[in-house]
Amino acid sequence: MNIPQLVTAAGIVASLLFILAIAGLNRPDTAKRGTAFGVLGMMLAIGATAISMVSANPSPITYWLLGGAVAAGALIGIIRALSVKMTGMPGMVALLNSFGGLASAFVGYNSFLEHSGGTAAHLVEVFLGTLIGTVTFTGSVVAWAKLNEKSWAAQRLLPGRNWINLGLLLLSVLLGVWFVRSESLLALLLASALMAVFGVHLVIAIGGADMPVVVSILNSYSGLAAAFAGFMLASDVLIVTGTLVGSSGLILSYVMCRGMNRSFLAVILGGFGGATGTSVVVGADGEAREINPEGVAKLLTTAGSVIITPGYGMAVAQAQHPVAELTKRLRGLGIKVRFGIHPVAGRMPGHMNVLLAEAHVPYDIVFEMDEINGDFPTTDVVLVIGANDTVNAAAMQPGTPISGMPVLHVWEARNVVVFKRGRGAGYAGVPNPLFSAPNAQMCFGDAAQTIQAINAALAKTVANAA
Amino acid sequence: MRVGVPCETAFGENRVAVTDKSVAQLRRLGYDVVVEQGAGLKAGFTDAAYQAAGAATVARADAWGADIVLRVGTPDTEEFALLSPQATLIGFLDPRFNTEIVARCAAAGITALSMDMIPRTSRAQSMDALSSMANISGYRAVVEAVHAFGRFLGGQVTAAGKVPPANVFIVGTGVAGLAAIGVAGNLGAVVRATDVRPETAEQVESMGAVFVAAATTERDQGVSADGYAKETSADYNARAAMLYAEQVKWADIVVTTAAIPGKPSPKLITAEMVATMAPGSVIVDLAATGGGNCELTEPGVSYVTANGVAIIGYTDMASRLAGQSSQLYARNVANLVALMTPHSDGQLQVDFDDDIIRTATITKAGEVTFPPPPVQVSVAPSAAVSPVPTPAPAPTPESPPAKPPRPWLLDVAIVAVLSVGLTYLLSFAPAPVLGSLAVFALATVAGYYVVWNVTSALHTPLMSLSNAISGIIIVGAMTQLASPSWPIRILAVLAVVVATVNVVGGFVVTNRMVSMFKRA
Repeated sequence: MNIPQLVTAAGIVASLLFILAIAGLNRPDTAKRGTAFGVLGMMLAIGATAISMVSANPSPITYWLLGGAVAAGALIGIIRALSVKMTGMPGMVALLNSFGGLASAFVGYNSFLEHSGGTAAHLVEVFLGTLIGTVTFTGSVVAWAKLNEKSWAAQRLLPGRNWINLGLLLLSVLLGVWFVRSESLLALLLASALMAVFGVHLVIAIGGADMPVVVSILNSYSGLAAAFAGFMLASDVLIVTGTLVGSSGLILSYVMCRGMNRSFLAVILGGFGGATGTSVVVGADGEAREINPEGVAKLLTTAGSVIITPGYGMAVAQAQHPVAELTKRLRGLGIKVRFGIHPVAGRMPGHMNVLLAEAHVPYDIVFEMDEINGDFPTTDVVLVIGANDTVNAAAMQPGTPISGMPVLHVWEARNVVVFKRGRGAGYAGVPNPLFSAPNAQMCFGDAAQTIQAINAALAKTVANAA
Repeated sequence: MRVGVPCETAFGENRVAVTDKSVAQLRRLGYDVVVEQGAGLKAGFTDAAYQAAGAATVARADAWGADIVLRVGTPDTEEFALLSPQATLIGFLDPRFNTEIVARCAAAGITALSMDMIPRTSRAQSMDALSSMANISGYRAVVEAVHAFGRFLGGQVTAAGKVPPANVFIVGTGVAGLAAIGVAGNLGAVVRATDVRPETAEQVESMGAVFVAAATTERDQGVSADGYAKETSADYNARAAMLYAEQVKWADIVVTTAAIPGKPSPKLITAEMVATMAPGSVIVDLAATGGGNCELTEPGVSYVTANGVAIIGYTDMASRLAGQSSQLYARNVANLVALMTPHSDGQLQVDFDDDIIRTATITKAGEVTFPPPPVQVSVAPSAAVSPVPTPAPAPTPESPPAKPPRPWLLDVAIVAVLSVGLTYLLSFAPAPVLGSLAVFALATVAGYYVVWNVTSALHTPLMSLSNAISGIIIVGAMTQLASPSWPIRILAVLAVVVATVNVVGGFVVTNRMVSMFKRA
């Protein structure tokens, strides 16, 4: 067997398997198979590389280093991945992403140290790969901290932040020219430091509501970093895989920006979430009516069809399990229950779907916004659980920060019950006319507890009826 | 303000506009309620029940003299005289048929809202008295038919022989028709139904009946903007007549419900068709008020034809279930009053910015406001202007005027220029980079298509899966591990560790997530 060719061959097969893996995510029932293909491809690529590496340098130290590093990494990875809660998933993805970025940066340095005196093209690849890896690393760490609500990572807007970003980029370009001309390690280090700052600064300016976009952009960066590493190491599998990841991240960001009707650039340049709360919204100044959990239970038993529209508040309150129980009870009573998911609900694309799946809500009653938006007028009760901006009719009026964003038309239903912690506005700071609409009632309190109370009330009603 | 509820005086009218429950609802809105003595008796609501709910029972003139008068039917001339000049009258005034009523309300200087003018929007459903009454009429129609029909509806096999189930044919599948389907089906009959609106087939089938339709050629639309069926073309009518002839002959009981608001009812069942029916068969014509769907119907009367077919043309079906219809009607009326009392302070406001109130109002302080501007409410997808709680909904913002398509030649020219430029640039790249770029370009295309196909529900797993496979950088780090130089090795070890965390963690997390997606 020709060892160098083995790596290339395994790389080709692994690339195909990775494409199959993503293709498997077409449908929920093939998703598991897809994941398995991904694992298979990864094992093939790693196995072939290990064989070639050991045959190139057959010293025991190499075995030990490789075995030790892989074992340590795998152990950490498994423990973290099994212990993380489903609601903490966005943070976990961001953290893992930062590791990918860090690894790319290291590989870039190594590639430079190993082949000093390479061609200009190689040096450019090293420079770009390392820098993108660094931005991914620091950006993802900040994203992780934001998603875990660390106070130091709260949104901060420096004056002239776009000029700072531009300056950092220009400086790095200059350093890049210096690096390629002189092959100076110092230039690479300085540029890395600049990019580390750039990553932090870029992400820290972004508000909570835009985190899904940021996480997926960083994901795409880590793919790009891997692709550049592929260029510098002349490894096709790295290029293919990195590109796949890069397109996946970019497409997801695009999908989400479209979901919020905002330009990609506006999100990246930051300064959205938590900004102005001064806009005047017509019809948002009325009195909100309150309803208690028993009242909601009573309302639900008279309904024929119910749509539940969850938002980030459901994730925060860990209410997905009570919601699933409620769904089961209502379906048991012969009531048609469906879920309507806004594309940017939660902190990650598809976040709500994952939480509902965790709580064993069947996926075939969970619908996207466009699939279900036409059904609200014929729905008896809509339960809005911890969502605000995504059900805000103000988006259909001009002149608010969320104007033009497609929203779930929950107010068209006969009754709307809004579960909310308090009376504030959403992330975008826009008052919501839904809360004072004649067909809407508010159920204040921790969503998990109130929904438990509704479950209890329903159980009592059913027991009484029996 | 004071709400007055007088007795209904029309012959055969047993309903009443308030119940003890709706009295309580009106009182919560801040109104004093007075009910004429004995107003609810025929519907089963005693004066004592009204008093217990907080209403006063008063003499006739007091009930008519209130600020707001709630009625079921139209007042007569004498009753109009009893209304106070600033009064608001709410009831079935039927301005589309009874053009005189508008002039009389205007002459009296009152504000009048007609319950039959409530638009069929989603928001107005709780006030849609026509639907409430149609539901009851549909039920009662079957009950009347069964009463006149000398047999079981359900089939039975008994020791004395086999009884076949009755055949029931329902014409018009609006609220009344669907109610009739439900009742007849529950009694065990074989039910068929038809409607000019083919999209109602699904509703009919959901009630367990069979939908029969006239052979359709061109687009026989039946959906109208106001939610009711409208008149049809002559050609369609000819084909429909064949269908009716066939089904009427088959049926033991026919219930017709095809009424068009403000127009005479279409004559669907001819005398010849009735002649083909077996003796003992029954036709119940719920469209009798508008003249009836059957040529032989005599409005208000039930009789048996020479060939033994009973034709029931009662126009007061809902009133024949007075307790039930009063309960629903009173609730519809109270909901309308609630809509007009936004602050629950007992002050009625006629707010013309509200499309429901605007449409239902036929005169406002003596000024004629009938007919109202049209309200588009249909189930048709294009007209989804459902009421938004905000008073000033902007037109849907996401439909910019369509740009004229670019000529394809221009597209080709742009692509040609870009291709030549790109080729020229690429020719400068060193050979190994060029090979890598080929892979990069193809992978971009593959990635684009494969990722767009991922279902949105799996976007989080997609992210963590792609995150896991982006850990492929481990392959690069591993090759560097074999380097003889220790600094490189140390960096490589670190890289392998973090990349492994990424790969393993990513796959485990993805697997956890995708394992959770279960079908119902």
